[in-house]
Amino acid sequence: MPILKFENVSKIYPGKFMALEDINLVIEGGEFLSIVGHSGSGKSTLLKLIYAEEQVSGGHVYFNNRAIDSINQKHLPYYRRNIGTVFQDFKLLPQKTAFENVAYALEVSDETQEEINELVPEILDIVGMADKAHKYPRQLSGGEQQKICLARALVRKPLIIIADEPTGNLDPTATWEIIQLLLKINSMGTTVVLATHNKDIVDKLNRRVIALDGGKVIRDIKKGRYAI
Amino acid sequence: MKTIKLKRTFKEGLDNFRRNGWLSFATVSVLAISLYVISVTIILGISANMVLKNVQDKINVSVYFNSDVTESRILEIKDKLVGYQEIQSIDYVSKEQALAQFRKIGEKNVSISQALDEIDDNPLLSALVIKAKNPSQYDLITKAISNSNFSAEISRIDYEENKAAIDRLSSVIKLVEEVGLTLGIIFVFIGVLITFNAIRLTMYAHKHEFEIMRLVGASNIYIRMPFVFEGIFYGTVAAFVVMICLFVTSKFLAPLTRGSISGGDIVSFYFSHFFIIFGGLLISGIFLGTLSGIIAIRRYLKV
Ligand SMILES: Nc1ncnc2c1ncn2[C@@H]1O[C@H](COP(=O)(O)OP(=O)(O)OP(=O)(O)O)[C@@H](O)[C@H]1O
Ligand SMILES: [Mg+2]
Repeated sequence: MPILKFENVSKIYPGKFMALEDINLVIEGGEFLSIVGHSGSGKSTLLKLIYAEEQVSGGHVYFNNRAIDSINQKHLPYYRRNIGTVFQDFKLLPQKTAFENVAYALEVSDETQEEINELVPEILDIVGMADKAHKYPRQLSGGEQQKICLARALVRKPLIIIADEPTGNLDPTATWEIIQLLLKINSMGTTVVLATHNKDIVDKLNRRVIALDGGKVIRDIKKGRYAI
Repeated sequence: MKTIKLKRTFKEGLDNFRRNGWLSFATVSVLAISLYVISVTIILGISANMVLKNVQDKINVSVYFNSDVTESRILEIKDKLVGYQEIQSIDYVSKEQALAQFRKIGEKNVSISQALDEIDDNPLLSALVIKAKNPSQYDLITKAISNSNFSAEISRIDYEENKAAIDRLSSVIKLVEEVGLTLGIIFVFIGVLITFNAIRLTMYAHKHEFEIMRLVGASNIYIRMPFVFEGIFYGTVAAFVVMICLFVTSKFLAPLTRGSISGGDIVSFYFSHFFIIFGGLLISGIFLGTLSGIIAIRRYLKV
């Protein structure tokens, strides 16, 4: 059963700008999918439709066979708890420590304090940030912040990880650390959708690649290399 | 709502309140000033009214009769007057009683008692001392008496002097109440506006965080409650500050009101009404804060 399905999806931003046009796409559970394309080709828009930061203008996006656009505003946070999101700009809460940022994802879903105290150190350990748990985001490097962001996305054990250029600002070493982590999570069964500009990554991954151009899917290759 | 949610959002609110530093300070100050002006007005109004009531209790009209009017005639008139519904009480003071009273006052004053000793005849007049149910009715009563069929037997009616003083006092109190109320309303308005703005400012500073919170799956209640609590903290701290200020104020005003308020001065009034005042302040503070919190955040929960 596909975990995600795009059906004739289009997205028109205010000002009649067509960011996505007639997207049809099926993503199976457990897949590791890369999305490539020029700047402005609609990669982020596609991902935003998945975690419902933006709404479709036409067509439907289904998550586990449920149309996302039918979820009302009030229930969106509950839906989003199924999805782990890694943002290019990290989106960490500046007033919270690394530990608290990760814990926040559990707090908002009413997990108990015991559970938080158990799960958070565990996940921080996995991303290799156990020793920096009590640092604030501003005290961390970009790569470190990205790992915290990843830890936050993972801690709820989501069915799918959405990563929008998670390595955009990172040096090659840090980039590879993040990719290795994503691969590790994927190997444990979590679906990963990755948007990236990084040719090296895509080539080395040798997994399914979708290329976007002008809001349309121009290529969809099972074991692909970076090409636009 | 689950208690764990309540606990966590309470803690978030408290953290925000502490982190906001001087913005919190400014908000609490303005809120406190507003509440202070209102409560001072109310307390001033209440104590002014107590003073007025006290003075009013001391007011009466004395009707003096000519020296040739007999006691039985005066008592007859008294019985007639008792029927008036505007009159609360009438006391008969004979010239002998009046003299005795006068001697008592004059005891310490040698010249007065000497003067009294020299006259063997009692120069004072018998009188009826009348109290009205309502001070505004004295006019009516004096008019009725001076127009009555026994007006020829009356030597004089003592009221006019007191009247002016009482009228002045009432109008001053009325002015205090009006000015205070106007100021109070203006300050409530300013207070609401500023609390509202302070919370909005914090929210503006947190704008991106709301988006982040929504995106990592925080429900609206989880985002909103900390701000409601923040508002509650503003209100509570302001209420405490105002209580202290009010105490100082009433201590300061106490000498002015001592003796003119039945049952002590304004400080004792403060203490005997402590919980009512504090409760009122707390409720209004919390109300202002909560309302601002709820309204201000609405526009930020759209992601
Ligand atoms: N909120 C918005 N309002 C209007 N237009 C938007 C909005 N967000 C994106 N767009 C436009 O939609 C197009 C696709 O944007 P999108 O962010 O999806 O591109 P992208 O492929 O992620 O690019 P990049 O690689 O630079 O991140 C762009 O031309 C952009 O200008
Ligand atoms: Mg993008």
